[in-house]
Amino acid sequence: MPNKKILIVDDDRDVQQGMNLRLKANQYDTCLAGDAFSGVAEARRSEPDLILLDLGMPAGGGFLVMERLKMIPSLAVIPVIVVSARHGLENQKRALESGAKAFLQKPVDDDQLLAVIRQTLGEPARMKKPALCNQGVV
Amino acid sequence: MTKPTQRIADLPAYLSHELRNALACIHQFGNILVDGLAGKLTGEQREYVSIILENASTIRSVLDTALDGAAPAASKIRTKI
Repeated sequence: MPNKKILIVDDDRDVQQGMNLRLKANQYDTCLAGDAFSGVAEARRSEPDLILLDLGMPAGGGFLVMERLKMIPSLAVIPVIVVSARHGLENQKRALESGAKAFLQKPVDDDQLLAVIRQTLGEPARMKKPALCNQGVV
Repeated sequence: MTKPTQRIADLPAYLSHELRNALACIHQFGNILVDGLAGKLTGEQREYVSIILENASTIRSVLDTALDGAAPAASKIRTKI
């Protein structure tokens, strides 16, 4: 079975690189984007199975990315997990209302991130730690 | 709202974003080292990286506590002004 493809949209190159390494080590293919505009463009180009999306980014931010994805039927079905350094229930609520499958606050525990990804992709759990939830802050 | 007051009100969001991103990197790369994704570590090296990770977790707890308290306070400033 081919590896699932995950698009990482984050303007912090170090965060991007860290997630990339972790996902590749767990048999996921990855593609990367560093702002809202290229996030949508990369989603259109690579048609990933899942998107990890930051909120605070140049060229519109994560909420704009979710809005744009919804307008394109082939991309509207791709599940989005928001991984943000922003605090507050307000952002969590808005992200979930905007269609995100989960809201994870940075710094995210690797096991929890992988568990939520697997849960969202409908894959069997393989982690030491169980996924705590799929509809809220982890 | 005056500029200094606006700055105070925005401080928790600013701190949260900047510090959490930096902490995310420390956690990610620390765990990458501990898990051997960048090569095998000696016992001593593992111990040192674990100390870094433990302290990063402590900072995270402090941040969670401080910012959870600071956000409502900042919104009160907004409401008052």
